[in-house]
Amino acid sequence: MKTKFILAIAIFILAAAGAFYFLRPHTFHGTVIQSPDPSHDFKLTGVNGDVSLSDYRGKLVLIYFGYTFCPDICPATLANVAQALRDMGDEKASEIQTIMISLDPERDTPEKLAAYVTHFHPTFIGITGSQDDLITITTLYGIFFQKKEGSSATDYLIDHTATLMVIDREGYLKLVFPFGVTSKEIAEDLEYMLRQ
Amino acid sequence: MNKYILNIVYGLGALIVISALAFKIFQPIQVLPRMQLAPAFLLVDQDNRPLTSEDLRGQFVIYSFTYTNCPAPCYNINDTVKEIQSRLGEVELNNIPVTFVTLSIDPERDTAEVLNAYAQTLGADTTRWKFATTTNQTLLKTVIGVGLETYYEKKEDGSFAFDPAFVLVDGLGIVRAEYRYATEVSNTDRILRHLGVLADEVKNSTGTNKLAYEAAHLFLCYAP
Repeated sequence: MKTKFILAIAIFILAAAGAFYFLRPHTFHGTVIQSPDPSHDFKLTGVNGDVSLSDYRGKLVLIYFGYTFCPDICPATLANVAQALRDMGDEKASEIQTIMISLDPERDTPEKLAAYVTHFHPTFIGITGSQDDLITITTLYGIFFQKKEGSSATDYLIDHTATLMVIDREGYLKLVFPFGVTSKEIAEDLEYMLRQ
Repeated sequence: MNKYILNIVYGLGALIVISALAFKIFQPIQVLPRMQLAPAFLLVDQDNRPLTSEDLRGQFVIYSFTYTNCPAPCYNINDTVKEIQSRLGEVELNNIPVTFVTLSIDPERDTAEVLNAYAQTLGADTTRWKFATTTNQTLLKTVIGVGLETYYEKKEDGSFAFDPAFVLVDGLGIVRAEYRYATEVSNTDRILRHLGVLADEVKNSTGTNKLAYEAAHLFLCYAP
């Protein structure tokens, strides 16, 4: 009787440990935001006309602020997102829309933006707008940006906050990834959000 | 044997429910909610130098709002800042700097020179207490009115109606707490307590502890 009792306790502890491992809540790699309000909507211009955040209600939306002349940070981030989508497969990727908002409307025409972002993944879209519109949107999304001198008058660079944001299906800002997040980490968080 | 397996499953279910309830009730870890992204900005400070949101990354920032022509005691905003500053030693901040940023809602009159004189009158240490604004009224409204959700409006007589709020932003640029004077007698103790909670989270929410901290966020174990 005593042996059976000890065995039952041991099995229970093992099962509890197993249950904890398999049922533990997902730990996000990005920082989870619990905003009570939907994310600020915007309307900017892409190669196929105006694009609003609210157009993609029902999908997960990844928003990244950058520019096509960006030497390293932007292509590295977009390449990681593209790799994450490829790893997740077409079906899951079709539920996700990635939007790059260009902070450089002087040089990034909608056509140039479209060519740039689709180089990373065919589903990506690139949009931009007036300087005033961009200042309002970046202010509200916590993105600081500022021109800095390049090697010639037209070859300027733009310092900018390099976070990657995820808006959930209902339009709420849910996750903020820092620069340097890997494609695997992005994929794990997105897959969890798609299951919810 | 099936009966034993069933009992174990029921037991595990009960264990999970009891653990979750216990976590929620006893709140072994308390956190502050991650409310929203704080606005990004490029403002001008009391020394006529640019002050950007990026300059404040990695620090805890307490925003307050005023204008230098606000008739004294002007909601005691500056006294509250001074009291918090003088009592920061009571909180274990783990070497994370705390910066106070008072935003002027009256950029027409509150030039850098005026803000500088105001800071000197208050005896403010401007390395830790910044005064800033921008003449771009649209940007100012976006930063304060929308981004930091603090109401202000100019009245016909040149004075301002405004919410004498305090907003606490963490080192990642996320709003973690708002303090509205209208409903609080004194926010000083609460703000100090919250700074300690934030510093604890920065220090402890790494490795395996991260799961416990995320559970605290999930179960809304918010510090009062």
